[in-house]
Amino acid sequence: MTEIKKLDGKVPAGKLQDKWDQHRFNMKLVNPANKRKYKVIVVGTGLAGASAAATLSELGYDVSTFCIQDSPRRAHSIAAQGGVNAAKNYPNDGDSIWRLFYDTIKGGDYRAREANVYRLAQVANNIIDQCAAQGVPFAREYGGTLSNRSFGGAQVSRTFYARGQTGQQLLLGAYSALMKEVGKGKVKSYTRREMVELVVVDGKARGIITRNVVTGEYEKFSADAVLLCTGGYGNTYFLSSNAMASNGSAAWKAYKKGAMFANPCYTQIHPTCIPQHGDFQSKLTLMSESLRNDGRVWVPKDKNETRKANDIPEEERDYYLEEKYPSFGNLVPRDVAARNAKQQADMGKGVGSTKVAVYLDFADAIKREGIETIKARYGNLFDMYERITDENPYEVPMRIFPAVHYTMGGLWVDYNLMTTVPGCFALGEANFSDHGANRLGASALMQGLADGYFVIPYTLGNYLASEGLINSDVEETAPEFDEALKTSKERFDKLLAINGTKSVDSFHRELGVVMWDYVGMARTAEGLSTAITKIKAIREDFWKNVKVTGTNDGVNIELEKANRVADFLELGELMARDALTREESCGGHFRDEYQTEENEAKREDDKFCHVAAWEYTGDNKEPIRNIEELNFENVALTQRSYK
Amino acid sequence: MASSMLKYATSSVVKKQVMGITGLLLCGFLLSHLIGNCLMYLGPEAFNTYAHTLVTNPLIYVAEAILATIFLTHIGLAAQLTYENNKARPQKYYVKQKTGRGATFASSTMPYTGLIILAFLILHLIQFKFGPEYVITHSGVEMRDIYKTVVDYFQSPIAVIWYIFCMIALGIHVSHGFWSAFQSIGFWHPKYTCLLKCLGKVFAVIVTVGYSALPIFCYLQGGN
Amino acid sequence: MSSDNLLTLNLKIWRQKNNKEKGEIVDYTIDGISPDASFLEMLDVLNEKLIAEGNDPVAFDHDCREGICGMCSLMINGQAHGPEAETTTCQLHMRKFQNGETIVVEPFRARAFPVLKDLMIDRTAFDDIIASGGFVNVNTGNAQDANSILVPKENAELAMDAAACIGCGACVASCKNASAMLFVSAKVSQLSLLPQGQLEAEERVKNMVSKMDELGFGNCTNEAECEASCPKGISISNIARMNRDFLSAAVKAKD
Repeated sequence: MTEIKKLDGKVPAGKLQDKWDQHRFNMKLVNPANKRKYKVIVVGTGLAGASAAATLSELGYDVSTFCIQDSPRRAHSIAAQGGVNAAKNYPNDGDSIWRLFYDTIKGGDYRAREANVYRLAQVANNIIDQCAAQGVPFAREYGGTLSNRSFGGAQVSRTFYARGQTGQQLLLGAYSALMKEVGKGKVKSYTRREMVELVVVDGKARGIITRNVVTGEYEKFSADAVLLCTGGYGNTYFLSSNAMASNGSAAWKAYKKGAMFANPCYTQIHPTCIPQHGDFQSKLTLMSESLRNDGRVWVPKDKNETRKANDIPEEERDYYLEEKYPSFGNLVPRDVAARNAKQQADMGKGVGSTKVAVYLDFADAIKREGIETIKARYGNLFDMYERITDENPYEVPMRIFPAVHYTMGGLWVDYNLMTTVPGCFALGEANFSDHGANRLGASALMQGLADGYFVIPYTLGNYLASEGLINSDVEETAPEFDEALKTSKERFDKLLAINGTKSVDSFHRELGVVMWDYVGMARTAEGLSTAITKIKAIREDFWKNVKVTGTNDGVNIELEKANRVADFLELGELMARDALTREESCGGHFRDEYQTEENEAKREDDKFCHVAAWEYTGDNKEPIRNIEELNFENVALTQRSYK
Repeated sequence: MASSMLKYATSSVVKKQVMGITGLLLCGFLLSHLIGNCLMYLGPEAFNTYAHTLVTNPLIYVAEAILATIFLTHIGLAAQLTYENNKARPQKYYVKQKTGRGATFASSTMPYTGLIILAFLILHLIQFKFGPEYVITHSGVEMRDIYKTVVDYFQSPIAVIWYIFCMIALGIHVSHGFWSAFQSIGFWHPKYTCLLKCLGKVFAVIVTVGYSALPIFCYLQGGN
Repeated sequence: MSSDNLLTLNLKIWRQKNNKEKGEIVDYTIDGISPDASFLEMLDVLNEKLIAEGNDPVAFDHDCREGICGMCSLMINGQAHGPEAETTTCQLHMRKFQNGETIVVEPFRARAFPVLKDLMIDRTAFDDIIASGGFVNVNTGNAQDANSILVPKENAELAMDAAACIGCGACVASCKNASAMLFVSAKVSQLSLLPQGQLEAEERVKNMVSKMDELGFGNCTNEAECEASCPKGISISNIARMNRDFLSAAVKAKD
């Protein structure tokens, strides 16, 4: 039996409020003249990657960025709609850094590290300042000051926004900062490159192997540190609101090189997505959850209902959320709304041709507020809905269903954002650090930018200075690079050589169904064990029967997908394994066996107030579940209730 | 200094601005020429005296030189821009369709209407400015009877049709060019740009109808 | 909704092996397409079929599939992003097409956007333009309190209108001159409308325009096809603003 390690999050000592300041003082600095001698690789150019790359380059480091898309600007951060939180307290409504910290840690169901979350709340204000200075066109009041809105059930208005495109605007801000450095020749931007291997030399991350997706060439890049800013792994479920190219492969390569993977079972499922309409569907589209402010959720009482929504009389409708949660009604938190929708569908009461959807009805709101008011509030969302479904939500109820949206789990990092592989850092959604078991609305943008603009510039310097690696440039000719390149090449060649009968997508879909059914919103020990068995079987089948057309030379989209799906087939199993061993319910992880009498997530703080950090032990071998204890010194752990 | 000036002058934006400004100046020329033409309706004396006063003024050479420069700049730049535009898409589309929400017939035919106007301009100079010279005496002053040159020329229905055809092309050209010049210079306003577009169309109609009326008038005068 | 009105389509798709080889239009017939499928999902179905037959699937750019990343492109029946106004290809649905219709699918074409494979193009030129000046020169950590610089609401709204650009290149594709003026002017306008971007406004417009020219885009002839085919409805008033800014910068330039 391998021994379970207790991980040290390297949280600095001292009062919560002073930790970051004190730590910044204690950290070592790199001499300005030496910075340009350090090479830093940034993989992924979303909010975290672009902001980190730009800032590190401004400081003087020699930075290279890598992205799969044709431009750094395409990263999926761009799709975030709602906004970005900061405790500026401009509306004078009682917000403070402490309150933002408290809301975030409570929202995460007490499964995040206190010190990290407090730091996040502290630097959030600087993010708003920085973005405004970059020319991000935030919404403004008539007096010229910034507008705020309340978001995701927060009791203060602390969300800054740029129409419904906040993610886009913040990303373009970070992208423009990055391009500014590219223009000065200080950052090298490599596009259409996929990281296929992490290179570790003498126990430290010293470079990556990439595959050029246009030419099929494998390339070696060495550096003094590698930053993984590669987003989440929501696409394990096949259907999610993630972009098509979003994948978990870079993080997975790091995992296999010794970086531990923390809390993979924490996934966030968003309740208001446009439901799936057919087998050919490639992705799901999310609609802002603000819709629930005015819409009423219902399903027909009769399972065998065949009438159209508007023909079903009031008394034959089941407004299940209003009934079950009289005080919060349709505004219960994301996970509660999502779980209940799935319950209704599982009972056979779903609506639409596929029966996997529930109604979100605006008829009452339109009657009460008038169609113009509703149009002003949700016009763009209604238009989007109509474009996709060809149904007019002003006349017939919308059909909605939950979809996978965000993954709170990710590579385990310490307070300095470093993984368990020295020199390999993880930022943004790729790490596990700040959201605990559930992320609040408008916090993802905050975290990505906090990591990139305001945390890594300090902690990376400390690592480089402490290691004393003054330009100890690892040559790309080192045997480790050749070895890693050979491994990746062999893997891709192997995928091409199988030449089976089933397409890559068919495996991905198969995996998605298992994940959704057993590792979705409501999990059971039995279901999770089944999932592990099934995923293993799909994986085995994949490596025997997948058909990848074409060759390794030039563009081969099937080959790219196959490589990612192969990793999802392993990641999915780890997610199930983590969910199985976490014998409690918390945030986005709901185990049927652990619920309160009110059907609320019931935490087992005595046994599971810790981070599970999984350690790779070899292909098809059981990984080790290490832990990091979570100590709460500043907040009291409470049980939430929405009745 | 000179090289940097040249850098700005050869930028796509300034080239378009010069196109616009020369175009607007040419619109001014069109208007003044049209007013001069209207003297035809008052009879040979008024028209010939006007023409005589113009050509005998020593400043005419300066004016003609400026006008020629404007024309040549407009034409030269048009040629260069069209060449560059063609080069910007070496592989053409298999199918290309307009959205119906942007381009108009006028906007998409600018190079062609421009070519027609160029051909017209050359013929126009040959036929009139360097055309048959008749002499006449008005109020004791001997001068060229340009009136007769014009009326004689328009006795041919083909000449009348060609002229009107060219004036229609000219109208189409300015109907886009007029508004477009303001856009290129950088004038845009939610209210006034609409107004300018209308004004451009009104101007186009005035130019086409105004110029086309004259050959018909001449034709109807019959041989004398 | 129902599955009884599935579509059969004749596709004429541009196939090109790589940047060097010549391409051609290839005919495909596909059936059983749900009217609820998006255009890209229809291509997915075609690709599944091609793979099953052992053929090379059609390469096309796509990512978010919700109309915001700007990765998808395609000339559909000669129109950038297809016939629907203010709609990206990924948000175009097959119900907009008739059963039995012939659909021509080509890549966005411009000298500055070389074809990489089939319908995939290289839009690095746009990144180069942004790198030449599409930013505010403010390093991280330098910013003052966000509310210390007031921005008139109207300017913030106009800047946001311009900033909505997704960088897809439809403006270039639909312009008969392959001009990038709408793209460049959207960024120039966004930043020149805000006080934060004012300081470098002149330098920015000069640098971005000269980069645009250098990359081989065509000239603007004010036809507004770019505006009409822009999935985000970006107005050509931005082009006028850029023209004005450029003229003023060129006149005032000391060099």
